[in-house]
Amino acid sequence: MATLRLNGIHKRYPNGITALHGIDLSVADGELIVVVGPSGCGKSTLLRTVAGLESISDGELMINEQRVNALEPAERDIAMVFQNYALYPHMSVFDNMAYALKNRGTPKDEIRRRVTDTARLLDLAELLDRRPRHLSGGQRQRVAMGRAIVREPQVFLFDEPLSNLDAKLRVQMRLEIRRLQKRLGITSVYVTHDQVEAMTLADRLVVMNGGHVEQCGTPMMLYAQPATRFVASFLGSPAMNFLPVTAHRDGVVLPNGVEVALPDMLSEGRAATLGIRPEHLVEATSMADAAAVLDVTVEMLEPLGADTLAYTRLPGLEEWLVVRLDGAHAAREGQRLSLAFAVAHCHVFDSQGARVPLAEPETQACQ
Amino acid sequence: MQYRRPGLDRLSHALLALCCLLFLLPVWLAFTASTHTLGALYSQTASLWFGEAGWDNYRHLLSGSFGGLGTDVLTLLINSTIMALGIAIGKIAISVLAAYAIVFFRFPFRRLCFWLIFITLMLPVEVRILPTFEVVADLGLLDSYAGLILPLIASATATFLMRQFFLTVPPELVEAARIDGAGPWRFLRDILLPLSKTNLAALFVIMFLYGWNQYLWPLLITNDADYLTIVVSLKRLLTSTDGLVPWQNVTTTAVLAMLPPVAVILLMQRYFVKGLVDSEK
Amino acid sequence: MAPQLGIVLVFFFWPALQAIEQAFYVEDAFGLSREFAGLANFEAVLSDATYYQALGTTLVFSLAVALGAMSIALLLAVMADRVIRGARVYRTLLVWPYAVAPAVAGVLWLFLFDPTLGLISSLLGNVGIDWDHKLNGAQALALVIMASVWKQMSYNFVFFLAALQALPKSLLEAAAIDRAGPWRRFWTIIFPLLSPTSFFLLVMNSVYAFFETFGTIDTVTSGGPGGATTTLVYKVYQDGFVGQDMGSSAAQSVLLMALVGGLTWFQFRYVERKVQY
Ligand SMILES: Nc1ncnc2c1ncn2[C@@H]1O[C@H](COP(=O)(O)OP(=O)(O)OP(=O)(O)O)[C@@H](O)[C@H]1O
Ligand SMILES: [Mg+2]
Repeated sequence: MATLRLNGIHKRYPNGITALHGIDLSVADGELIVVVGPSGCGKSTLLRTVAGLESISDGELMINEQRVNALEPAERDIAMVFQNYALYPHMSVFDNMAYALKNRGTPKDEIRRRVTDTARLLDLAELLDRRPRHLSGGQRQRVAMGRAIVREPQVFLFDEPLSNLDAKLRVQMRLEIRRLQKRLGITSVYVTHDQVEAMTLADRLVVMNGGHVEQCGTPMMLYAQPATRFVASFLGSPAMNFLPVTAHRDGVVLPNGVEVALPDMLSEGRAATLGIRPEHLVEATSMADAAAVLDVTVEMLEPLGADTLAYTRLPGLEEWLVVRLDGAHAAREGQRLSLAFAVAHCHVFDSQGARVPLAEPETQACQ
Repeated sequence: MQYRRPGLDRLSHALLALCCLLFLLPVWLAFTASTHTLGALYSQTASLWFGEAGWDNYRHLLSGSFGGLGTDVLTLLINSTIMALGIAIGKIAISVLAAYAIVFFRFPFRRLCFWLIFITLMLPVEVRILPTFEVVADLGLLDSYAGLILPLIASATATFLMRQFFLTVPPELVEAARIDGAGPWRFLRDILLPLSKTNLAALFVIMFLYGWNQYLWPLLITNDADYLTIVVSLKRLLTSTDGLVPWQNVTTTAVLAMLPPVAVILLMQRYFVKGLVDSEK
Repeated sequence: MAPQLGIVLVFFFWPALQAIEQAFYVEDAFGLSREFAGLANFEAVLSDATYYQALGTTLVFSLAVALGAMSIALLLAVMADRVIRGARVYRTLLVWPYAVAPAVAGVLWLFLFDPTLGLISSLLGNVGIDWDHKLNGAQALALVIMASVWKQMSYNFVFFLAALQALPKSLLEAAAIDRAGPWRRFWTIIFPLLSPTSFFLLVMNSVYAFFETFGTIDTVTSGGPGGATTTLVYKVYQDGFVGQDMGSSAAQSVLLMALVGGLTWFQFRYVERKVQY
């Protein structure tokens, strides 16, 4: 059982690209941290520096408060599950799982016991003699997991382990990973670019962008109080609506002159962005103390069953305004709607993209 | 979905069969000639059927020195085998190590080494035969197995093929092995070599044939009949007497010189084809 | 790494450098002394009529071998590819000449065409053709070419068959739907798609004809009669090892290296790019 701590980790590749600009993160014993971010933001690099597959240019990596910067991957006592599984194609499932143990000189009968135990845990007992190419995608995924688990490592690292599976298997394996991780209680770092996976798996979520940590905290906290416009746009589907606004005496004003009443927080005349999630826009008739009412025209509808997404247009604005309506709503294309939203659901970002706190902020650092 | 044309198919079969026979003809004639006596051979044009000498020519050539060669065919076969195996195994061992270093390790002058080796791809032994001969003579390696084998190992073809294969090994596999605690040697032994089995077999076939069929090099550096190879001995047999060419001996030796490489290629055809066709890429 | 480098250095670069050095010296007949001769060796080689004869022979020989071996192989491969059943059997029946040494191939064909007891030479005699490659230079060259084509054909066959079998079937089906007959299909679709393979084989066949046929030439004709089958490589050997003229032979080696290097460079730079469709 272990803790993991990153202090100001920098990674510069030999070709001059700086992929990590000082990452601070600490992972508690048994915690599952999920790292999300767009492609190329440095997620894999982060994981690989922790694994020891890439050297650390600057900063400190601590496992159990021991500095491990200089240790070889095998000496760090970590296990990693790769996106393409990286199973040894010429070895049976048993040998794949046993390889690391053999290399450490674990006695034969102990290897056999641990591999069979793990195989049972993962429903692989029938498959131990097969070669990887005779397994289905989901089974390969489980073997990759098994190879990691059988080592009983201090830290688990996952690099997009589910992205080669079809949608249904992905949901199933997601649950299974969660169950196993809780049951074994192994400290884990899990990289994905799938935000649903991120939200559902994480004890804590780390959103990265361009080699920086944008924000970290529980999934619900990041969803409710995104610290930057980037985090706000990254989490949630469909994405948050963003409207350009100018600060005003009693709040902000939209380009078409509609005023939104908000607590005083920006000096008058400054440009800002107002963010509202699609599900927080409701019909004006059902809300008493709305921050503002927007008159929009429905241009397109996307019925999803439980919900219907309405793509609407606000006169004088270029942006779509996406609204999540009830599935039973009788909206038609071309129809006019009056939408309202509450102050509590408003997110305001300054011109640098940083959140402007409307109420007293709750903060939670990554350390 | 293509139009089937039975007529065209039959024509194809017929032509293919005919060509197979035509290709076989020179070998068949040599084989039948090797069962005739010298007198019988010269009493008619080459016969398409076996003669009365049976296996006598073979027995005779395998057991004693003949035709002014100063050695028997068995020695020649053994020399050829040593040379072919030495070249095949030597090339494979060296090129596996070199390709392994080039693909999986970062070290100073890596690019330079790479280019030094790959320039050798361009120039076959035949071009640099004379100076190579002098170097080998200076090293005192004339009339020795080392002299036969070493200069021919210095070709880059096999290195290039192994490199191409190693480049297809996913980097994650290397990383997984590192995390699993496999050092460089263990990785080579446990993962890389087992994965390259087919390629190694293919390479072995190609290099064995290459070694067995060498002509110019062994011709130059062997004077001593004890180091003569069977392929080279043919020319000496052809020109050994001033009178009639001893065709019964020549054809017998030619058949024996063909047997091992043809057996290798037919037995390992699958690997051979794969090795050849892969090497194009 | 180190062993390969060592061998490459000792048996490749050292000789190459020595050849270059030697090309600038003349040696006396006993190899006891030598003196710097500048470009004299090169001038001697380049003003020697037999060198140009060898160059011409090499070009005719290489072209004939490459075209002969490739066209036969392509024809057979196309037929083997279309018969579906039996393609592998035919491959087995046609692949083995590759394993036969060039020198052995030479001996087999020499026997077929032996003026006194050869089967084919006597058949030719019946139709009034006098066959004696020991006297007739054109016949000698033809014989060497036939033996070389015989051996090289199987190599080309393996490649063409593999390339044909790897062609996307959907393309041929599309052509068949467009009512293109087998002949049109071949020239308008298959042949252009085979161009990378053909180009590769052209290179490999030229290399083969240049160098590996040494054994065939030596056993069949020893470069004769009258130099009719002396190729550039054979001449290096003859002048250096038989004639003991090291300076000239070295100069020829250097010219040959330059020629091969230049051709390789040319291939990579120009031709290969054009053949990619
Ligand atoms: N070996 C390398 N050498 C040089 N630059 C690299 C290397 N690996 C990654 N990079 C660069 O570092 C940056 C971060 O890459 P990384 O692979 O960590 O992104 P990622 O977040 O995992 O993206 P993805 O979601 O696409 O997997 C990218 O700009 C990438 O080009
Ligand atoms: Mg990645």
